[in-house]
Amino acid sequence: MTKERGGSLIFLAAGIYGLVFSVQLPLGKWNQPGPAVFPLSLSILLCLFGMGWFIRGKGAGKKQGSVRLRGFVQKFMTPIRIVGLTAAFILTFEFLGYLLASTIYLFILFLWVSRYRLWAALALAIAFGAGSWLFFEKLLATPLPRGFLS
Amino acid sequence: MDVLSNLLNGFQTALTFKNVYLCFIGCLWGTVVGVLPGIGPLAGITLLIPATFGMDATGAIIMLAGIYYGAMYGGSTTSILMNIPGESASVVTCIDGYQMARKGRGGAALFIAAWGSWIGGTLSIIGLMFLAPSLANFAVKFGPPEMFALLLIAFILLGSLGKGSFFKTVPMILFGLLVGTIGMDPLTGTMRFTHGIKDLYDGIGFIPVAMGAFGIGEILTSTEESLVRFVGKVKMRELLPNRDELRASWAPIFRGTGLGFLIGLLPGSAHVLSSFVSYTLEKRLSKKPEEFGTGRIEGVAGPETANNAASESAMIPFLGLGIPTGPAPAVMMIALLIHGVRPGPLFISEQPQVFWGLIASMYIGNLILIILNLPLVGLFVNLLRVPFRILFPVILLICLVGTYSVNSSVVELGILLFFGVLGYIFRKLDFDIAPFILAMIIGPTLEMSFRQSLMRSAGSFSIFLKSPIACTLIVMSCLLFLWNIFRAVRPKKAWEKALEEGE
Repeated sequence: MTKERGGSLIFLAAGIYGLVFSVQLPLGKWNQPGPAVFPLSLSILLCLFGMGWFIRGKGAGKKQGSVRLRGFVQKFMTPIRIVGLTAAFILTFEFLGYLLASTIYLFILFLWVSRYRLWAALALAIAFGAGSWLFFEKLLATPLPRGFLS
Repeated sequence: MDVLSNLLNGFQTALTFKNVYLCFIGCLWGTVVGVLPGIGPLAGITLLIPATFGMDATGAIIMLAGIYYGAMYGGSTTSILMNIPGESASVVTCIDGYQMARKGRGGAALFIAAWGSWIGGTLSIIGLMFLAPSLANFAVKFGPPEMFALLLIAFILLGSLGKGSFFKTVPMILFGLLVGTIGMDPLTGTMRFTHGIKDLYDGIGFIPVAMGAFGIGEILTSTEESLVRFVGKVKMRELLPNRDELRASWAPIFRGTGLGFLIGLLPGSAHVLSSFVSYTLEKRLSKKPEEFGTGRIEGVAGPETANNAASESAMIPFLGLGIPTGPAPAVMMIALLIHGVRPGPLFISEQPQVFWGLIASMYIGNLILIILNLPLVGLFVNLLRVPFRILFPVILLICLVGTYSVNSSVVELGILLFFGVLGYIFRKLDFDIAPFILAMIIGPTLEMSFRQSLMRSAGSFSIFLKSPIACTLIVMSCLLFLWNIFRAVRPKKAWEKALEEGE
């Protein structure tokens, strides 16, 4: 798939989403434009641009770099791992509490993504996890979740 | 006299211990993010926004502006010494700066880069000081039709001058405008695209979107390659340039100042564009253009001056009209909005202590930066020895905590991750994310002014043609739109291709 086509699919998806949900809103009249006018117009334009880029993207593959899905997953394993870990951190953040969740999150990142040895990863995770907790909670007085331990 | 007395008041605000300290922290952090590849000025600013919550608006904007122009100074250090651009505006500096370093003239190149940055930055602030209040006074007369026309031309200019082609930027603007409509409609109270999620009733948060798209997106892009970076030893042989180098750099510094100042007023990636245009100009004017790329001081002096001048003059439309011309001013606007201050035509008259305090702090910041970037340059180069595989998990954690601290909302953390992934994908697909963020921020004002205009005219579009200002701006927008179509169809020139590759 070419880069142009990849982009076009995002624009088409956003445009279709906008169309589906903005047609349910009141359109109003010209002297009293409703809340649907702006998002509906934008969605139609996005769909048009998405279709334009999709058609144009067919010929651009030979000239410019194309993205293949299988190669994409293999080549970009590190970002995929980071996104997965971050999603897990977000889901467990309030239940585990900041201190525990951040230490576990950093430990797995240092061990699995940064490829540090077990003890080095653990030491770095504890140092940065506790250090960031002290910095945000104590110094900046940021309210952070304490989790089930509290 | 009015300007001078206001400036004196500004210095009274900026010279308090707290504000000098915040200016120093901003400049220091800006230099650090400028030096470190993988963290640009945008990520640097967004990371520190949560730290400003306990401050007043003046202190917050002083610190955040310090990061912005500080990154422009810091970006040249690694470009010259290691051939690694710290941020996008410094790509051009690599060409001749690194060649000078290989010849043992790295110190001189750093000196000229810092000196040029200081001159460009300082002269640009003088322009900002005189131009922004006049522009704001003029814009006070603007009603909804004029504001709509002004924002329309700003978006078309953004499409013309942003990275990549016009037709690649326009869908990004439309996408940003669509995201900006999420939340309660301010005129009717109708919920749009909220799906019953209470966290979206006030609209989608700017912080998670900006921090995700720029901060997380940038980290994900940087971690794609090897996480281990080798840094060689740096020898600072001679810091002072010789007489020939000084003589050769004067004219490029002043040309770079003028060029950067003018380009900074336009929407888009002004600091990147200004450094490329300055380099091309210097090469054209040189008697020995063939020597460019082999270590000419003009190739460092012009672009480095231009990108600093552009970063300061970009504040004029941002502060005077409330239109951020680039992603960094847009993020600063978010910070000011959080503090209850809205930049725009009334900003200077209603918040003089914030505006003039910022102006005065920029003079102070430029002095701090020249001290940080010349005698202490070796210290910053050592930062590159901190392995990126330690840095990136810590930066990720700061992004997460920073977003959570705004509203204590896990939904916003989800938005952060979503836009982080989206920002990363757009980078991979060569679509510029900056117009998306700008559109999302300015979009609600554009929609409001459009609807208010139609309500005022009982549904007649002639309201946009009755006002001379709105009519002129709309005609200009149409002409610019047509010119962009023509530009997209005709074959690209060599310098346009070079600029796209550099970006």
